[in-house]
Amino acid sequence: MLCVAACLSNAQAAEIKIVTTTTDLADITRAVAGDLAEVSSITTGREDPHTLTARPGFILRARDADVWIRIGMELEIGWEPVILRDARNTRIRVGMPRHIDASDHVIRLEVPTQRVTRDQGDIHPEGNPHYWLDPLNGRLVAATVSERLCVLYPEHKARFEENLRRFERDLDTRMFGTALVDALGGENLWRAVAEKRLEAFMTEKGMADKAGGWYGTMRPHQGKNIVTYHRSWVYLTERFGLGGDLQLEPKPGIPPSAKHLASLVSDAKARKVRMILQEPFYTLKAAEFVAARTGAKVVVVSTMTGGSAEATSYLDMLDNVIRKMGAEL
Amino acid sequence: MAGAALFFAATQASAQTGDARVQKLEDEVNALKQQMAAIQEQHVRELAELKALIRKQAESPTGVAQTQATQGTTAAPPSLYDSLKQSVASTVPPSALQGIDLDLAVVLDMNFYHDTAGEGVGHLKQHLRGFGHHHASGEGHDHGFENGFNLRHVELGFTAEVDPYFRAWAMVAVDEEGAGFEEAVIQTTSLPYGLTLTGGKLKSGIGRVNRQHAHNWDFLDAPLVNELFFGHHGLAEKGVQLTWLAPTPFYLLFGTEVFNGDNAHSFAIGDSDSLPAHDAPRLWTGFVKAGPDLGPRHALQFGLSALAGRHQMVHEDEAFSDGDTAIFGGDFVYKYDAKRSHGHGDFVLQGEYFYRDMDLDGHGTWSGERWTAKQDGYYIQSLYGFRPRWRGGLRWDQVGLINDLRTPEEGSANYDASCRLAAMLDWKLTEFSLLRAQAGRGWYDTGDGREDAWEFALQWQVTFGEHGAHDF
Repeated sequence: MLCVAACLSNAQAAEIKIVTTTTDLADITRAVAGDLAEVSSITTGREDPHTLTARPGFILRARDADVWIRIGMELEIGWEPVILRDARNTRIRVGMPRHIDASDHVIRLEVPTQRVTRDQGDIHPEGNPHYWLDPLNGRLVAATVSERLCVLYPEHKARFEENLRRFERDLDTRMFGTALVDALGGENLWRAVAEKRLEAFMTEKGMADKAGGWYGTMRPHQGKNIVTYHRSWVYLTERFGLGGDLQLEPKPGIPPSAKHLASLVSDAKARKVRMILQEPFYTLKAAEFVAARTGAKVVVVSTMTGGSAEATSYLDMLDNVIRKMGAEL
Repeated sequence: MAGAALFFAATQASAQTGDARVQKLEDEVNALKQQMAAIQEQHVRELAELKALIRKQAESPTGVAQTQATQGTTAAPPSLYDSLKQSVASTVPPSALQGIDLDLAVVLDMNFYHDTAGEGVGHLKQHLRGFGHHHASGEGHDHGFENGFNLRHVELGFTAEVDPYFRAWAMVAVDEEGAGFEEAVIQTTSLPYGLTLTGGKLKSGIGRVNRQHAHNWDFLDAPLVNELFFGHHGLAEKGVQLTWLAPTPFYLLFGTEVFNGDNAHSFAIGDSDSLPAHDAPRLWTGFVKAGPDLGPRHALQFGLSALAGRHQMVHEDEAFSDGDTAIFGGDFVYKYDAKRSHGHGDFVLQGEYFYRDMDLDGHGTWSGERWTAKQDGYYIQSLYGFRPRWRGGLRWDQVGLINDLRTPEEGSANYDASCRLAAMLDWKLTEFSLLRAQAGRGWYDTGDGREDAWEFALQWQVTFGEHGAHDF
């Protein structure tokens, strides 16, 4: 009995309990927090993160959490409020330091510039929340999490910062390849990416033929168009210079209609689409309909860590997505 | 750029030695270089001070060390994270920054209803043997659907965080006869030890369906037992509720409530002078809910409830009764999450049971008599998402398995049970709209013998305003 009590208090003293809404956030947070934290995710990576039921088990995890991290931009609007309300954990309420909104400092796309109505479908007034498919945003999320953890746990600041640098180095290497990162530095490469002058920067430095990693994989495909089910891929297509404006859904969150698919088929043909991308939790019927009429290939790939056998970490998830796209485009 | 050009000019010029003008130019360039270095140094210093100030204000020491710039530039620019942070901040729409929110949601709910009972199923339900008593103080209006089009009340829901201590919500139901509060609730948000205190007019936490508003029901109507024991609006009373989320490794919630006890169906209080006066509060409840953690796909929750309150009835002009009602209930729900889009493959099995024991003493012409009733009822329902956004459901209702009454008029009697089977099909086009078809067959034990009836309904419901989050 004593031992159990001692072990329990020991475990609590050594660990920061962090609960994230998604598995990608959990993996990035694990990379930053290392063994200082016990990190778990509410979703498993296999479900549609828009719709989830706030179950008693989630409430318990929120109750015990020291830090809560969400994707934000209203992705979790259907379930996070209930979990946080019923968990009665005042430390992680929205707006508290221990409630981290990972979208705080990411680069946002599709932020509506005028008033939205629900006639336009499931539009998020704060912008498209699927931002984690842009590796640069993954990097910014890691920095956001690290920054806040350093404030909350200043005694571990050095560890968090060291872990963050390691994660950034891993991500940069996967994105650009070792040669580019060693020669030019990940930070400088990303800065060039953010300023939309990466190619010029590489040419300037005489490294134009050294592109490796995800960038190197996708570079030959720049300008190609793909069809996706939901507008959940725009961050990826935007980052790698693909055209990602064609969706099976006529409007976000509205299921494919026959009329929409018919016009999509002609658009896809006109834009020489060779790939239809979608997450595993959507039905395949619409994709197969378009594929049969355009000759495009249906690629089902998970956009969330844990969503498939290959996606064991955030970086592996992106790796898997880009490898599959590179092979099929 | 200008500096580089000057420098370039200067190096070219210095090749021609012995020229005094070149020497002068070199001196000037050197002076300029020094000036520029000084300015740059000043800028770097100011920037560092400014950044330190910003950090201090935000009380957040930077978590981001800058990766070493490989070009060997003298002054390190702000890190990528810091500079992007600035530019990103300008793209966040103002709506996201609003600190104060009042969520407003409106529910419109209409249906086309048809049943085959002579006077309507609503009338049958009021005349079920053992359940079919009338109260002098009973609800004046009946919410049963009539054949043809029905507009269920319009629900206006307001929710807000009041301040750091309380949240509040009000659900106003407006129908053609007027407006009333379904709920008007203040709730604490900051009590320690997992405690929450709720007050106002609130839906009791007993059972499962009782807490839900009509627009969240899985069927068009409430289960028979809930309707007969607590009425169309369920047990919604003025009072306070205290709940405690226990610090156990599995979900365990305890709750207790004190209410006025105005519910006309089980806890009514008569308004005749011949009856003893009982001051409110007259109704106490307690409930517990428990759920083991069964992993990401399965969820299970059990609940137990107990209610005790005063009850008075006016039977005829001069016959009254006064006494106690106790109700005990049990409920369970199992949910399977198939992890596909929009509820595709999800399955729910849910049931509730209630037992009611009334023990009343006679007054007026019934003086010295006793009036008792022991009754129960349950339902069990199942839902399955057979396509994304489409669900099919079945519900079996039964009341009066125990239906023992003792009245001064008829002595002891044991009445039959009534039951009902309903099948429904619903289509949630989006989070905000729903179409539902429901068909049911009921077998009712009334004073005139057993009556059977079919019920058919088509429901059309929309919600507009804020995106609500759903309870378990």
